[in-house]
Amino acid sequence: MSTMDKASDASNEAVLSRRQFLKGAGASAAAATFGTVTLSTSEAQAAAFDADVDIVVCGGGGAGLPTACFSAWLGNKVMVLEKAATLGGTSFKAAYWYWVPNNAAMQKAGIPDDKQHYLRYVARLSQPQSFDLNHPRYGLSEWEYAMCEAIYDSAWVGTELLAEKGALPYRHVAPVPDYFAEMETIGATGRVLFPKDGAASMSDGGQVATRTLSAALRKAGVPIKINHRVEKIILNDKREVIGVEAKNDDGIYRVKARKAVMFCTGGFTHDVELRKNFLSIPAYGGCAAMTNEGDFIRMTSTLGVQLRNMNYAWMCPISFEKAIAKDPSLIGCFSVAGDSMIFVDKNGKRVVNEKLHYNELAQKFFEWDGANAQFPYLILTSIWDQRAQDHSASHEYGRLIVPPGIDNKHVIQGETLEELTANIDKRLAKYASYTGGLKLSKDFASNLKASIARFNTFAAAGKDEDFHRGERGVDLLFNGIVKDEPGRKNATMWPISDKGPYYAAFVTGGTLDTKGGPKTNPEGQVLDVADKPIAGLYGVGNCVASASGRAYWAGGSTLGPIIGFAYRAANQANKEPVRS
Amino acid sequence: MRGNIFERVLLSGILGMLMSLPVLAEEDDLEKAKRLTERDCQQCHTFKKGEQHGQGPNLFGLIGRPAASAPGFVYSPGIREALQGKVWTRELLDQWLTDTIAVAPKAQMVYFQDDPKVRARLIRYLESLKD
Repeated sequence: MSTMDKASDASNEAVLSRRQFLKGAGASAAAATFGTVTLSTSEAQAAAFDADVDIVVCGGGGAGLPTACFSAWLGNKVMVLEKAATLGGTSFKAAYWYWVPNNAAMQKAGIPDDKQHYLRYVARLSQPQSFDLNHPRYGLSEWEYAMCEAIYDSAWVGTELLAEKGALPYRHVAPVPDYFAEMETIGATGRVLFPKDGAASMSDGGQVATRTLSAALRKAGVPIKINHRVEKIILNDKREVIGVEAKNDDGIYRVKARKAVMFCTGGFTHDVELRKNFLSIPAYGGCAAMTNEGDFIRMTSTLGVQLRNMNYAWMCPISFEKAIAKDPSLIGCFSVAGDSMIFVDKNGKRVVNEKLHYNELAQKFFEWDGANAQFPYLILTSIWDQRAQDHSASHEYGRLIVPPGIDNKHVIQGETLEELTANIDKRLAKYASYTGGLKLSKDFASNLKASIARFNTFAAAGKDEDFHRGERGVDLLFNGIVKDEPGRKNATMWPISDKGPYYAAFVTGGTLDTKGGPKTNPEGQVLDVADKPIAGLYGVGNCVASASGRAYWAGGSTLGPIIGFAYRAANQANKEPVRS
Repeated sequence: MRGNIFERVLLSGILGMLMSLPVLAEEDDLEKAKRLTERDCQQCHTFKKGEQHGQGPNLFGLIGRPAASAPGFVYSPGIREALQGKVWTRELLDQWLTDTIAVAPKAQMVYFQDDPKVRARLIRYLESLKD
């Protein structure tokens, strides 16, 4: 939202002098500086705080709202500080499916979900290269295993409490399978829950959840301060966290936290420096909230935390043009629309199963071609015909094929394939400095014709000989609306018309949000380099390290685990001694 | 201090008082109100006359307009239920911005602003969006 220039060496200036703090001079007005302040006992007593609570929750999104609810219901005086002008963070735009292994609905329906089966599934996907059925932790490290156990143990408990209190009523979407359900014998379907009043298409859960969770907080009397950007963690001289310093439109706002400060500030999708230097892939951006800029990583840089899983993110294809434009309405392409549709590379050739589910499809864009020192698929072009435009258009799930009235600046058109090619070329030229001068090859038009012809024979037969499109159940889960064609063998494919008009859009891989940060224990306590909790400091959600490695276990395997950790962290923070 | 003046003006409904303020101060405040309001609301709304709707409706000419009636925008059932038949006045807008969910329990717009100074600033700017 508001972009404040950050000094590139902000973390070097992170530790603010105590005298400046007490005088209320605060950080320099020109640059946002993140960090910590340490106060002696007398300084802590003399310091001016604008509010005094038991627990401060930094961030009012997918992690912050449940964390604040659980904390308030335990009898704590809680305050939420939100950097943006609106609540919900990344989750507001999300479908908000939440994945809850062994959830109460499964238990009631007698659908088994054994803990060891679950642990084997998550281990196999998170660390496939060390997966070992004979290993006591199936190849996971002690920390990873303990975190995964915590999800199984607590996500369902937290979920039930949120539902009971009316903060997040749900409905059980039993038939939705895990993304690699074929690897499981049990638990493969039934783990997904969805906000009760959301649409039948399950695309709008984030709006519903943000509404119900924030209403519950209001009902519990929890003050929610929007446009309050937390910049500093305040410590006493015993290295215990005793509060935070934030900036709002009027200046500095300091909150004393007698028991705990709980960070729920999201990942670093929108910080170019952190992205470039930590992610394993050169992403252009993603659909995380615009305010997700890795603030917690910068703040903890002086605290001796252990950064983990910084190289991976929850990923999805995104509109390349919307990412470059920093369009805040960008939603990841969770569903790739159309049956008479293909993706092609700069040579006009298909390279991937376009219906591969989003986290896995996103990986294709970052394949490396060593012989030519390039990312050959960094930007692909989706191509579709009028038939797909007429029958597969949707405003949901970030689909690129949109109905009239919905913003379609990302769409390129052409009456013929030749005209389309020329228009794609022209559009691509605008982005030369972002793409390393990417251009279509001179054979693009003829190759595209050949690719379409080849695809059309596969579509007619119902079998994609090159990339196996439509062969996995999960391809069909996200297929989207397609024209009813009686007797067709593969719902994900239909021959592309030999008559225009034709449409195209640029696609790349993006981060729904990153999932690396300071390491916590399974109680959400942020650990120092000796693996000891930093007293009073907690982290939940994408601002701290996920134990999932590169894996996206199932739809909602972001938010379900977050509810589990929010529950555990709130309960642990509740036990903290009152500090001054 | 300026915030208190606007608050009193709005509460008393005497717009004419604005005319007596130094012109420079009024422009400063409106510029600031524009900057902050657009920053806060542009994720979903647009403000120029005739601009395309975003995730929320275009707000040009809002004050005095019947609620849930911007042509071409598809309002959620929650908003239609709660607001149909009402007209956007400063008072309704103030109530709305305090807690949208209290006014329309099933609204898609989730917003609450406890600070009357901030609400006054938002309303000040939105009022200025007219021919």
